[in-house]
Amino acid sequence: MQQEFIPVLIQIVIATGFAVATLIASVLLGKRAKRNQMKDSAYECGMLPIGEGQARFSVKFYLVAMLFVLFDIEVVFLYPWAVSFKRLAVDGGQLVVFFSALSFIVILFVAYLYALRKGALEWKD
Amino acid sequence: MDVNTIAWLILLLPLASAAVILLGTKKSAGISALISTGSVIATLVLSFLLLAQPDTAAAKPLQWLSLGDFEVTIGLKLDSLAQGMMIIVTGIGTLVHVFSLGYMHDDAGKARFFAGLSQFMFSMTGIVLADNFAMMFIFWELVGVSSYILIGHWYDKDSAADAAKKAFLVNRIGDFGFMIGILLVWVLTGSIYFDEIAKAIGGVQNANLLNAAVLLVFCGAVGKSAQLPLHVWLPDAMEGPTPVSALIHAATMVAAGVYMLARVSFLVGAAEMAADTIAIIGGATALLAALMATQQNDIKRVLAYSTLSQLGYMIMAQGLHDGSDAGMFHLYTHAWFKALLFLGSGAVIFACHHEQDIWKMGGLRQKMPITFWTFLIGTAALIAVPGTSGFWSKEAILEAAWHDHNYLVWGLGIAVAFLTPFYMTRLFVVAFLGKPRTKDADHAHEVSPIMWVPLAILAVMAVISAYITGPLEAKGHVAFHMSLTAILSLAGLVVGVLAGWKLYAGCDRDPVNIKLFANKFYLDELYLGIVRLFQDFVGMTFDAVDRYLIEPITVRLPALAAMSSGYVLRLLQVGNLQAYGFLFGLGAVVLIWLIVF
Amino acid sequence: MPAYALEIIVFSLGLVLLLVDAFAKLEDKRSLAWLGMLGLVVVFGLLFKVEPRAADDANVFWRFYSDSRMSLFFKGIAILSTILVLAMAIDYRGLIEKFTAPAEKKAHPQAGLGEFFALPVFACAGLMCMASATNLVSIFVSLEAVTITFYVMVAYMRRNVGSLEAGVKYLILGALSTGFLVYGFAWLYGITGSMDLAEIGAALKSGDVSPTAALFAFSLILVALGFKVGAVPFQMWIPDVYQGAPTPITAFLSVGSKAAGFIVLLRLSAVFLGSEAVAGQVAMAFAVVAGLTLIVGNLTAIPQSNFKRLLAYSSIAHAGFLLTALAAAPRKLEAGQLSSATVVAFYLGAYLLMTLLAFLVVGLVRVHRDSEEIEAYRGLGKSSPFLALALLIAMASLAGVPLTAGFFGKFFVFQLAIQGGHWWLVTLAAIGAGAGFYYYLKVVAAMYWDDPTGAAAKAAAIPVSALTRAAVVTLIVLIVIAGFAPRMILGLIG
Repeated sequence: MQQEFIPVLIQIVIATGFAVATLIASVLLGKRAKRNQMKDSAYECGMLPIGEGQARFSVKFYLVAMLFVLFDIEVVFLYPWAVSFKRLAVDGGQLVVFFSALSFIVILFVAYLYALRKGALEWKD
Repeated sequence: MDVNTIAWLILLLPLASAAVILLGTKKSAGISALISTGSVIATLVLSFLLLAQPDTAAAKPLQWLSLGDFEVTIGLKLDSLAQGMMIIVTGIGTLVHVFSLGYMHDDAGKARFFAGLSQFMFSMTGIVLADNFAMMFIFWELVGVSSYILIGHWYDKDSAADAAKKAFLVNRIGDFGFMIGILLVWVLTGSIYFDEIAKAIGGVQNANLLNAAVLLVFCGAVGKSAQLPLHVWLPDAMEGPTPVSALIHAATMVAAGVYMLARVSFLVGAAEMAADTIAIIGGATALLAALMATQQNDIKRVLAYSTLSQLGYMIMAQGLHDGSDAGMFHLYTHAWFKALLFLGSGAVIFACHHEQDIWKMGGLRQKMPITFWTFLIGTAALIAVPGTSGFWSKEAILEAAWHDHNYLVWGLGIAVAFLTPFYMTRLFVVAFLGKPRTKDADHAHEVSPIMWVPLAILAVMAVISAYITGPLEAKGHVAFHMSLTAILSLAGLVVGVLAGWKLYAGCDRDPVNIKLFANKFYLDELYLGIVRLFQDFVGMTFDAVDRYLIEPITVRLPALAAMSSGYVLRLLQVGNLQAYGFLFGLGAVVLIWLIVF
Repeated sequence: MPAYALEIIVFSLGLVLLLVDAFAKLEDKRSLAWLGMLGLVVVFGLLFKVEPRAADDANVFWRFYSDSRMSLFFKGIAILSTILVLAMAIDYRGLIEKFTAPAEKKAHPQAGLGEFFALPVFACAGLMCMASATNLVSIFVSLEAVTITFYVMVAYMRRNVGSLEAGVKYLILGALSTGFLVYGFAWLYGITGSMDLAEIGAALKSGDVSPTAALFAFSLILVALGFKVGAVPFQMWIPDVYQGAPTPITAFLSVGSKAAGFIVLLRLSAVFLGSEAVAGQVAMAFAVVAGLTLIVGNLTAIPQSNFKRLLAYSSIAHAGFLLTALAAAPRKLEAGQLSSATVVAFYLGAYLLMTLLAFLVVGLVRVHRDSEEIEAYRGLGKSSPFLALALLIAMASLAGVPLTAGFFGKFFVFQLAIQGGHWWLVTLAAIGAGAGFYYYLKVVAAMYWDDPTGAAAKAAAIPVSALTRAAVVTLIVLIVIAGFAPRMILGLIG
């Protein structure tokens, strides 16, 4: 039984090894520059940076992104369900299998209505 | 209805009534009063149904507690003793409820009062129907609580609040002994069920322990039935509303001690030394209380001391060989005429605008004819005029004492038979005859029918109850033999009444003044002194030991340890999420290591 | 009606509440709470109409679901506590409004209130599913349904820093524990090849499975569930989260979340205790955790001055007693002996009653006195005798005064531990119970003996709505009934 897991072990070793190796390589190969305040600033010449380093997204972006993930997962779930439907739907299991997915879709639909009504998809302020 | 339903209904109806009033209808006094009165009438009817049951009847017990092998059930014993007692409790209860409808009509705490009455009925029924000591003790305590609530009904009056507290504390002293007694009986016989104890009692070898057990159980009766030396609470308890005095402190609660002794008469019978002690304490109480009664001026206090004295009779009978039945017989007849006297005094007090001093009454014969006649009948029964119920039952007790050859006790009883007619005649003559001595007495007029009808019913019962003993048939019946006892007690009656008449007819103030009796033999003062002694000297010693020895070692040290470890553990709670995460991980690693390796 | 219909109804009820909130223009959103309570009361009634599974019902569904008496009892606990939490939420709505109202002036002040009444219903559906779950998958899904709902509810007062902090702490540590749970489940599946508890139990019993691996799986699961029930050393989140969360949610958390953890723990421990090879270690682990929890929970509660925090530690302490019952689980049940599952179920039922009663009062005092410190309870016996009495009974029951539900809860635990001969656990539990008397009665002393200071001295009586009054009276009656006749409750458990 233990043999089966050898590939997994190999993968773990490779994954960690790669990360460690890269870091070591960059230290060994990279040229160590002198550091001072000027060198660490964004531009050594020209305008002084104004504002934050990262642009701030509107919080609505996260909301929409999250909703996207949710509804995306719905589709992802439906694929394996559709593929294995025939295999599962035996011995009177049809109803359970069918209605499980249906109720899943209904719940997501209700969630969609709710999100719509609460204004989660409206972009303007 | 089968016997189960009847018995459980009798027990639970008053409880339901109290619960409904306290949780629901407290705001509307009228409805509350009707609910309470309705429940007690229903239990009276049910108690009559219960009479039809055979002597061996018992209700199916409920499993209540099970601690390993030790099981406590709530079972109901429905033998003739319980049946008879239920008639007394519910019968007088009904009349008192009806009387209270009038007496407490305008009281601000009417709903609370009736809830208290219902609660008392529940507790008392529990004592009567209990088939084991554990259950009896629980209801015993409940009776104490209800009595506390009812005595202290007018709790804004200091004297009432103090009296309630006194009654409760004094009862607790007795109950503590009772509890130890129950445990001791349990140890000796291996059971707390009356039936099983009765079977096992013959096998008890250690007579000393048995005597001790019975005396400790008797402590409970001393408290509840107000015997020497714990009698001090009963006169003070008269601070409660008069119907309460009639119900609780004359007919039922104080009879609980007597009833309990009758219930365990097989125990008393088995412990000879204890039985003698019981008889002597009863007799002594009867005599001392009668002496105190001769010098009281408060109408209710006179009745209270006469109650003490009569209870002494009953307790005395419990200690006599073959006297238990006579005692129960006297309990039965006494309940009716004493309730009558109390309610009668209530009517008088009510009519005289809550005046209780007999020297401020007088001339009530013309003002309140019905009360006068019923009170007269009650008095006749109490002083044992031949033909009335009180005569037969008192005679039975005195005869039992004579036949037991217990001449000391018999002598005490005979002495009381001289005193009782004397002080009752004094009360009666001063309060009802002569001329009105105050304006209140002058303006008194007859009470409303809702109050005098119960009086009339009780008056009838005061005369005939001895002839209709019903389930208590075996306990006592009308029988009369000409004997030394009979002659002496009849002589006592005549002498007592004549002396009372001679001394008090036409008097405006007390011609006799015996400080010792008026001040109740200074027993209250004595107790106060003892308590003070304890507080000042013994208390100081204990306090020092407690403060400098016991407390630091047993209380402070563990408390300090617990406190300080609490404070230390609290430091772990830093409130920092990273730290929590770290501790969580650390805990997980340690736990896994502990379990797996 | 089969048992699973109840979960469907409750879940649909939650959806309906959400939709009504979104589509109907409600002036007063309290009606949502009323609707929710009404629905749950109906479901509670239906609980007694459940038909057992038909013998010939071979639906695959039953591989995930059990409808035993015990499951139904826990469903009842879930429904009852949700109803009471909703009742509490109605009283507490003022604070919720204050901390959730939108910034715009003209917006409805209750705009953020609707979900607060719908979320407990979803949590309830999750709890009910969990009560019946017999499969690792269904256990995990229902547990997460409950936990995720709680993440939202804990952080519900989003303009209140305390609530947000509590939410973040709960979320991060909760996610951590979920990781442990999944990893443990994965190991369990890996070594037995099944997700079904019965099959896993059989596999463990057969002895074909490496005990080390089984113990590793168990310890991972114990870490995760220890977090859920608040067992030491995974209890750190409890005081902070309890204190920060809205009071009705704290109540729900301490009752619902704990019950959820213990149902799963009961089911899984039965599986592990059935195997000779690992039973000894498993019982030992329970005993160690129980002992630690008893000591830490009870002793740390002593110096607390914030009542809500005190109740948080009390919740840890009670977890200790419950774990003691698990640790002392008898291998072979003798006639008349209570199984540890029965004891735990009884204890949880009692705990539900008294904790909810305490939190009801805490919530009201928080709303009207604006404080959760014990000092704020001074003089409550005079100004609000009804609430003070309710709190007195709750405290007495929590401490384990005889003739209350809490007494028999503790009594059965002690009985079990003594029968099992776990003397040092008994000792620790006795110390804990003693400490409990101190810190619970501290509150009682504050209510009745201490003179109020500051604002509390002038405070008027706290108004109690009819609904709250009814809830309080019901809880008191139930506590007393369970304290007088524990057999009635034991009969329900089966």
